[in-house]
Formats: sequence, C-alpha cells, structure tokens
Amino acid sequence: MATKLGTKAFSLLKYSSPQNVTRMLSQAAPAPFDIQHSNPFAKKVDAVPVAKYGGRHTITMLPGGGIGPEMMTYVREVFRYAGVPVDFEVIQIDQKSESDEDLEYAITSIRRNGVGIKGNIETGSARPGVMSRNVGLRNELDLFVNVLHAKSHPGINSRHRDIDVFIVRQNTEGEYAMLEHESVPGVVESMKVITDENSARVARYAFEFARKNGRKKVTTVHKANIMKLSDGLFLEVSKQMSKEYPEIQHSDMIIDNTCMQLVSNPHQFDVINTTNLYGSIVSNVVCGLIGGAGLFSGRNYGDHYAVFEPGTRNTGTAIAGKNIANPIAMLQASVDMLHHLGHTQHAKMIDDAIYKTVNEDRIHTPDLGGQATSIDVVQNIIKYLQQSTRKINWQDTRSSTFY
Amino acid sequence: MALWNKNLWCVLSKVAQNVPATCVAPCNRLIHSSPPAAIQAEVSKPEGRTTCTLIPGDGVGPELVHSVQEVFKAAGVPVDFEPFFFSEVNPTLSATLEQVTNSITKNGICLKGVLASPDYSNVGELQTLNMKLRRSLDLYANVVHVKSLPGVKSRHQNIDTIIIREMTEGEYSALEHESVKGVVECLKVVTRTKSQRIAKFAFDYATKTGRKKVTAVHKANIMKLGDGLFLKSCQDIAKLYPKIEFEAMIVDNCTMQMVSSPHQFDVMVLPNLYGNILDNLACGLVGGAGVVGGASYSPECVVFEPGARHTFAQAVGKNVANPTAMLLCAAKMLNHVNLRFYGDMLRGAIDKVLKGGKVRTKDLGGQSTTKEFTYAVINNLR
Repeated sequence: MATKLGTKAFSLLKYSSPQNVTRMLSQAAPAPFDIQHSNPFAKKVDAVPVAKYGGRHTITMLPGGGIGPEMMTYVREVFRYAGVPVDFEVIQIDQKSESDEDLEYAITSIRRNGVGIKGNIETGSARPGVMSRNVGLRNELDLFVNVLHAKSHPGINSRHRDIDVFIVRQNTEGEYAMLEHESVPGVVESMKVITDENSARVARYAFEFARKNGRKKVTTVHKANIMKLSDGLFLEVSKQMSKEYPEIQHSDMIIDNTCMQLVSNPHQFDVINTTNLYGSIVSNVVCGLIGGAGLFSGRNYGDHYAVFEPGTRNTGTAIAGKNIANPIAMLQASVDMLHHLGHTQHAKMIDDAIYKTVNEDRIHTPDLGGQATSIDVVQNIIKYLQQSTRKINWQDTRSSTFY
Repeated sequence: MALWNKNLWCVLSKVAQNVPATCVAPCNRLIHSSPPAAIQAEVSKPEGRTTCTLIPGDGVGPELVHSVQEVFKAAGVPVDFEPFFFSEVNPTLSATLEQVTNSITKNGICLKGVLASPDYSNVGELQTLNMKLRRSLDLYANVVHVKSLPGVKSRHQNIDTIIIREMTEGEYSALEHESVKGVVECLKVVTRTKSQRIAKFAFDYATKTGRKKVTAVHKANIMKLGDGLFLKSCQDIAKLYPKIEFEAMIVDNCTMQMVSSPHQFDVMVLPNLYGNILDNLACGLVGGAGVVGGASYSPECVVFEPGARHTFAQAVGKNVANPTAMLLCAAKMLNHVNLRFYGDMLRGAIDKVLKGGKVRTKDLGGQSTTKEFTYAVINNLR
C-alpha cells in the first residue's frame, strides 16, 4: 500500500516539475494526421476533412474493368439530370500492370475524398505475390464491414417474393487474409484469421444497424461446429454483443444450413451477420434468388471511409460493350452513396425513378428476361427524373446536415 | 429550294441542340451501334428553378447586379434572386446579419457585390461586416481565378492562376488591444486545423480543375511558429496528392515573381493577409478590379463576389463601371449549381464582347457605358 502511494506521488511530482518548453514541443505527440497516415490501421483518430465545398462533394470514381466504365457513364448521366451536387475524380486502374502504383493512387484519392464509388477491378496477374486489387483496397482503407440489402422487386419474376434481408459481412480478414504457403511440397496451408476486435466491430455494426432501421432479428452465420476456435470466437463475440441490444432477437445458424434455409424459406432472415467468405456466398445466393447480379448494391464502410459498389462483385467482361448489361446495380450503389453523403432528396428521386422503371414499366435487360438495352433502362430513368424535376426548386433538395 | 433546304437544316440542327437527350438517344443508338456510347448531352441543364441570395453591396454594386439581372432575364436563366440590402456604411437601411446568413444557408449560393469597410469604427467594434458574414457562414476559402481576358490589354498575356486564400483567421482575427499606452498588439492566429483545411481545399481544387502545381506562400523565415505551422500543414497535405507538384515561396519574393513572371504560378494557397494582397496584385495584372471574379466557399455554401474588393464609390450613378467581374461571378455561380448550359452561354458572350473590342468600358480604355456593355453581352448570347 505504502509503495503504491509512493509511486503515485512520484508520478505526480514528475508532472509538477518545470519543463523546458522547446523540449515539450519536440516530444509532443504526433498529430492525428501523422498517426493516420503513417499507420492506416490506427483507429479513432480524426479523419482528414472530406472534400465538400460549397455544398458540392468530390467523389473518387474507379470504373474498374468489364462493364464498369459503361455503368459509370450512366451514373454520371443520371446524376446530371437529377441535379446532384457531386463531382467525380475518375481514376483508371491499369488492369494488366503488375505494379500497384495506380491502386495506391486510387486509395490515396479515396482517403482525401472520403467516399468512393467503384466497379469491379480485375487483377490481371495470377502471381501469388500480387494481391487482389479489390481486397487490397478494402484492407488499406480498413473498410471492415460490407452491407448488402437484398430486397425483392415486385416487377421481377423470381423464385421468391417479398424478400428483405440485410447481409452484414466482415470485409477485411477471415479467409481473405491472403496468408497462404506451401509448407511441404504438395501441401498448401491457407490461414483464416479471426480477431476479437474486428468481429466485435462487425457485430456492433450489425446490431446498431438493426436498431436504427427498426429491424427485429440478427442472425449470426458461422461454422463453429467445425472451426471451433476461429468461428467460435466470432460467434462468441456476437453473442456478447447481443446482450447490449435486448430488444433485438439474436440467433445463430451454421453456414450450410443457412444456404438451405435461404433457398427454401428465406423470409425467416432479417439481418445476417457473418464472416468474410460466408458473407460472400450468402449474398450471392440471395441475389441469385431474387434477380441476379445486376440489381443490388453493396456498401463498404470503415471508420472514416465508405466505398460503394455493385453488390455481387462480378466484372461482367463477357457482356462489356454490348449494351445489354443491367445498369441498376451501379445506379443503386450511387443512390446508397447519395444517402451516405446526406443528399437524401436526390437519392429518393433516383430511387423512385429506378423503382418505376423496373417495376411499373418493366423495362428489363436480358439478365432479367427482358429485351431492353442498358440505354433503354437509363433513358426511362431519365424520363422519370425529368418529370420529377420539372417543378422543383433545387434549394429544397439541399442536404439538411447543416441546419 | 436551296434557301428552303438551309432553313430546314437550321431548324433541324436547333431541334437537335434543344431537345433533351431522351429524344436524341434513339438516333445515337443507331449511329453507335457497336459500342454503347454514353448518351450525348454534353452540358448539364436540369429542369426546375434555383434561388440565389443577392447582396448588391455598396458603391457601384447595385448597378452591376442590375446588369446581371438583365442578362439573366434575356437568357431565360431559371434562377430567382432573393435580394438583401446589406451594408456597413449605411446601417439604418441594412438587413440584419441573421436574415442574410439564414437566406444564404437556405439557398447555398449568393451573389454579392463589394461591401465598403470604413477605416474607423463608430461603435468600437473590431470586426467588419464582411468578416462577420464570413465568420458566421464559415466562408473559409476564397478563390480568385486570375485569367487574362481576350482583348484586354495588359502587361502580361495568358496569365492563368488560381489564388486561394484562407479567410477566417490569421491577421483578420480581429483581436487587437492596447496592452500599455502607446503599444498596440494585434494577434495573428494560425491553427493547424484551419491551415490543413485550406491546404486540402487548394489541392482538391487543383485536382478538380486539372492543375499541376500548388504553391504555398508564407513568411516562415520570420514568423517561424505561425507561418511555420501553415507551411507544415501544407506540406502534410501535399503528401496526399502525389500527382501535384508542391512548392513553397516566401511572400515578398512571391510578389516580385508575380509581377515579373506570373506564368510560373498555377494554384497558390495563402494565409489571409498575403492572400488579400496577392489577389489585388494579380487582378491589377490582368485588367483591374472590374474584370476578375471570385468565390468564397464554406463546406455548405458559396458566395460569389468580385475578386478584388473595390467599391468604386466615385462612379456611383455615372453608368461607367465595368460589369465583367460580376457577370463572370454569375457564370461561375451557374456552373456551380449544375446550370452549366447557361454558365457557358454567359461566359461565351462575355468573351465575344471583349474579343470584339468594340464595346469597352472606361477602365479598359473604351468609352462605353455599363448599360451598353450589358446589352452587348445580351446580343451575343447564343
């Protein structure tokens, strides 16, 4: 006891002794800026202010490969008609190049703009040393969570109707840790990394999300019966987290069972909280059930940055340049982005136009069984936008974040 | 027959220009059948109306603003103005600061003439009305695009520099006191947050407008801590922009360089007072206070105002002031609110009038009046 008091007194003494000012300056803690940019994984520090000036945002746009560039022109076209106060900084990533220079520049750009919208970026090289560009981007920006909203469109024929599921997926670790090696010739080990901290962040996000959006139930999807330690940790953390949200029902389900349940009785799911690979599988299953790759958008969030992209990450190289790709997914991603930026009115306007086009006019591209071209769909959306903007006063659409 | 053909061609081409892209696109699809090109309608011209706060200001401001309104009327620009008389030298008639800021926050855009700031204060207040407006709206970044205009004779040709000035701190903090009789201390405040903010603004602006170089202007060799912090913040932010060259220059050298070889500058970022001086210097290089437009940005709103703050009070009512600066501001404003179609139209008309050289106001060595210039611009609208 006495020694404890003694040390305490000593530490107080240390602070009361006079100090040389210049010494203090030189020893001062590094600025938040330095911390964040010397170590991108540092958390809970001030972000660089986002690029928003005079009510206009600048957004990083990464068109990516395949149908990406076409889709981006549609997004810009629609934004122009909807009078969206957003400018784009377009960055092309050379798919064939082995170096990561373009990717690094793209990441820097998202860092300073705060928000990005992207198509799927192909990784040209199959060499083990070259990391996937999509994964690289997510890891560097620490976009730890991916959210996909799978909601049935009434105008699209599909196996199930009225599905409304949110899939919250861990986005930076697990099976995508990219740690593989051949320990003995013929034996390859691939590591799956689950950390307490990241699991907690995702679970926290899932429950907060459920609470904010009035959702009733969170289902944690795992394989803890086999991977007792790694998935066990994920499950355990989620269970702990659920105790803080008593109003939200929490259940857990094993991944193989989940897939079966999803195709047979998908209405039992509300919010799904899961690890990286399972999330990828589950979201593709759900999207396939209710309309395919061309309809849904995914949002990636980190502490400071957000990146929006089509929900199922396909490049669509086979249909690139043919004017038949479905532009809805990318447009939906742009709507998500507008919500994130606070331009809710513009988002709603575009969302309504998309809804009417898909469900009332039923202008569908071949992937949904229709005959329309991409441009037909975009034209129809623009037609609705023109109708809704004819009598508008643009001041009423200003984001309400300021006052 | 030939005439008829020509007329028909005129009508058809006009139709092609005016119809919204919905009608044009089917043809596009036929023409570009192999790659699905973007739908072609180059400039944005959304429907609906925009409201803009209007502060005519002191001196010749009301005349210039009237010129803008005339041009807008003639061009059919879908903008409504919300005018406020706002003045420091005429406080009895002036609208309150609150009314004006509320209007600007609501509208997000404002077109503003120059407000006169008296050298003395009646009420013992250190902040001018301009400063109060900036403070309350947090208009921290002032952008002046100094660009040689066609047909305007000046010492240097083809100047194209963007000067970005921090406007909320530094020497303009309005913190002055007489600590001992005969000794006045004036505080210059520099903060890391605001310095980084203005530096980031400059680099973002450079990125957006495709510029190659940013020059930070400072006096860190004398004010090692204050300007030193500004310089350090700029250097920090510059690391985020690997494709833009960054250099630093001391303010006294910078003024010399500006008048002797102004072409070396691309985008410049400056603290408050240096920015003010450089703004005026650069405006003088390209033709004076009447021909340079500027804008002040906050995260949420923009105030478009002439680049050099000169009320030109001696010319009130004489119909001689040059409305170019105000019209350029208006064109910038239209571009900002997605009305690029009208912004480009206005800009083109101004350029045509200046290039023609027949209609020139007195400051550019002509004999024309404000009205004549305005009508010349209207006649040149496409």
